[in-house]
Amino acid sequence: MSSADPVERHVTALSAALHGPARAKNRMLAEVRDGLADAVADRAGDGTPAERERAAREAVREFGTVEEVAPSFQRELTIAQARHTARRVALAAPLLLLCRQLVTTVPGGRPLSAAEVTAAHLGGAAALAALLAAAALAVTGGLGRRLPLPRGLPFAVAWAGTAAAVTLGLGALTLATAAALTGHLALAAVLALLTVAGHTRIAAAARACRHCARLARPPEPRPLA
Amino acid sequence: MKGDAVRGHLDALLLSVLEAGPLHGYAIITAVQERSGGALELRTGTLYPALNRLERLGLLRSDWRSAGERRRRCYELTDAGRRSLAEERTAWRRFTAAIGSVLDPGQGPAAAPGPAA
Repeated sequence: MSSADPVERHVTALSAALHGPARAKNRMLAEVRDGLADAVADRAGDGTPAERERAAREAVREFGTVEEVAPSFQRELTIAQARHTARRVALAAPLLLLCRQLVTTVPGGRPLSAAEVTAAHLGGAAALAALLAAAALAVTGGLGRRLPLPRGLPFAVAWAGTAAAVTLGLGALTLATAAALTGHLALAAVLALLTVAGHTRIAAAARACRHCARLARPPEPRPLA
Repeated sequence: MKGDAVRGHLDALLLSVLEAGPLHGYAIITAVQERSGGALELRTGTLYPALNRLERLGLLRSDWRSAGERRRRCYELTDAGRRSLAEERTAWRRFTAAIGSVLDPGQGPAAAPGPAA
């Protein structure tokens, strides 16, 4: 379809207004495009190009303007982003535990006690963030049928993501330093790599979640039953 | 009756038209129109976020299926969705019976249990 096509133009405009996980957004937009194509076919069938264009304009008008419909799409995308972030946050504590296990199971690689205590405290913080993430996943999933969605949940998940990214980074770096001090440079490099990968992914998801949360202020519709 | 009439009942309407089997988005819109004799029209722009929400809550599931020459994302009820629809129906019948007994007092209270004689 050319950009002159009203349907494609509308979908492009809606796409520009929405932010969230690429897969969820693309799926929503694909459905919108399909639905509008069905509406055009229903109205114009095998009509002339002029009839099809008129039908496309009618379908777009019936769909609603971007300003009218974007908030409800964005609310779902924000929740999708919060769930995506929560899944990553939930991985921080196990990842930190893995780093600690790597350090303590290597012969002669037991970390310095101060580093171990620091990592344990940071691991506790990561575990708390993981608990919050699990609660967020539950309340935005099946539990959402009975419980209203707390308005600030996406922000809470975003900040939990930031906290988890920081604790993961500090904790794993502490252990990596301890490993380096005990002469295990290869292990230190592995830990540093895990840290960078984990920290980057969680921090990016948390930033995206905060951005989406700012775009979706209206409250969740009343749950069923 | 257009979008305003549907507001507040959208979830129940969507669950209800999907009770018979899987449908894709546009087919859901036409099913609501047909079953209401054209009285109810879903705003297409509100449909997809609502379907997405119901799927997230576990009331619907969806997958891509062939519909004619094209592939469409089709939605169907889960077991939780069927239970939720039954609850919505019960609540709706109680509500309409209560309103009906006020608007048509000659009809008497509908199915209101009285004390044993």
